[in-house]
Amino acid sequence: MDDILKVTGLNKSYDNFSLKDVSFTLPEGCITGFIGVNGAGKTTTLRSILGLTSRISGHINFFGMDIEKDARKIKDRIGVVLDDGCFYDELSLAEMKDVIASAYSAWSERDFKEYMERFELSPKQKINTLSKGMKMKYALALALSHNAELLIMDEPTSGLDPLIRGQLLTILTDYMSNGGKGVFFSTHITSDLDKIADMLILIDNGRIVFQEEKDTLLDSYRIVKGDMRKMDENIRKLFLRISETAYGFTGITQRVSEVQQYIPDIIIERPTIEDIMLGNIEGGKE
Amino acid sequence: MLFHLIKKDFLIVKKYVLIVLVAAILIPPVMRWRTPEFAGTFGFILSVIFSVFMLLQYVSLKEYQFPKATTLLCATPFSRSMMVLSKYIFCIAIYVACCIIFGIETLLIPGLGTSGIALFILMFFVTSVFIGIYLPIQYKLGYEKTKFAFAVIIVASPFILPMLMRMDTANLDFLASIPAYFVYSGVLVGGFIILVLSSMLSIKIYNETDLA
Repeated sequence: MDDILKVTGLNKSYDNFSLKDVSFTLPEGCITGFIGVNGAGKTTTLRSILGLTSRISGHINFFGMDIEKDARKIKDRIGVVLDDGCFYDELSLAEMKDVIASAYSAWSERDFKEYMERFELSPKQKINTLSKGMKMKYALALALSHNAELLIMDEPTSGLDPLIRGQLLTILTDYMSNGGKGVFFSTHITSDLDKIADMLILIDNGRIVFQEEKDTLLDSYRIVKGDMRKMDENIRKLFLRISETAYGFTGITQRVSEVQQYIPDIIIERPTIEDIMLGNIEGGKE
Repeated sequence: MLFHLIKKDFLIVKKYVLIVLVAAILIPPVMRWRTPEFAGTFGFILSVIFSVFMLLQYVSLKEYQFPKATTLLCATPFSRSMMVLSKYIFCIAIYVACCIIFGIETLLIPGLGTSGIALFILMFFVTSVFIGIYLPIQYKLGYEKTKFAFAVIIVASPFILPMLMRMDTANLDFLASIPAYFVYSGVLVGGFIILVLSSMLSIKIYNETDLA
């Protein structure tokens, strides 16, 4: 598979936060979840790769083209959904659409109308009358109506109710089946990724912790529950994260067979993405 | 593409466009009525400065209120250069509208004087100087700080202007010996040069800005 996005050595610094040597790739045909807790650097990374914030160093290639040299060509081929409130609220949906549509060479009015009907949005409606969920749907309609090959979204499910989140995930699946080459979306609500993601990238404190296929990742970790009386320091080292009570422990590990050698009567469960995320970030290991 | 960005600026301040338009129409005749000695040219100058400044302020206010909307536009194929240039053209479009309004008024209202090309060129130069200074400062400092800085200048103007008027001014008598055609061409070209240099500076500043 070709890479549709390649980020190498991205560095960006603020007074109290910095991205440190961020590198990752997005293979074609994948829905990639960009996960991390609030403040981990997800939004800064997305904005840096879109050229919305400056960077100290780093190379960003979309579809084999450098963002520095071919920004317009690249942006013509990607759809972007930023977090809440990215519109002029006093405009109508049709007025805002006219502005955005004029930027794209392959804008499809037919696709836009179809999305508007599907989402039950009226072009005459003012943006400030939309709920958060409707704004997200409108943002998606704008991002998907110009034959975008890559969809980049920043926290699209944040603050949405489960029904709308479910609808959003269906739209993403439809988008990929209709020939979309990739979806890259940041979120801290990892349950959404359990359903649709193919690839996961974890960022913590400005550094990429891992990039892995979701199924491989879920197969390589296990949640282990056992009797606290059999726990000792050597066994504790086998866990990424462990929580203990007077009765027992629950921990996440990649070395389940070794744990089983020490404590044969353990309960082994499949972890969620959230378990793996918390096991791999600094605050989550406590 | 640029046209749609300019249209966007008018759309986000559409509530105020009508008010400013009415003011641009009324200022010259009202000045003729209340202060006949300042009618005509001064009325026109005031209507242009008022219209350009007010609408630019309203656009800046809306962009300050919805900063992420601008960020979204920059994530589309609109370049930051286009975003900046659209602001300059937006101001020039208001200036042109004021010229048309005043031109029609001088035909309809006796006593407003005549609206010749010389007046329009002079006003183009004044408008160029105004936005040529204002916009780069706003791109550098942001809406709030620029508003504050200009408020200070306006408050200080009653003290500064008399001082400036007392200072020896440059001797411009030599201009009388140059054909008017060359003088006006020079003023026009000067206005364009100011706009070009100012927009280049604004683009440079905006390209280095981290968006919200």
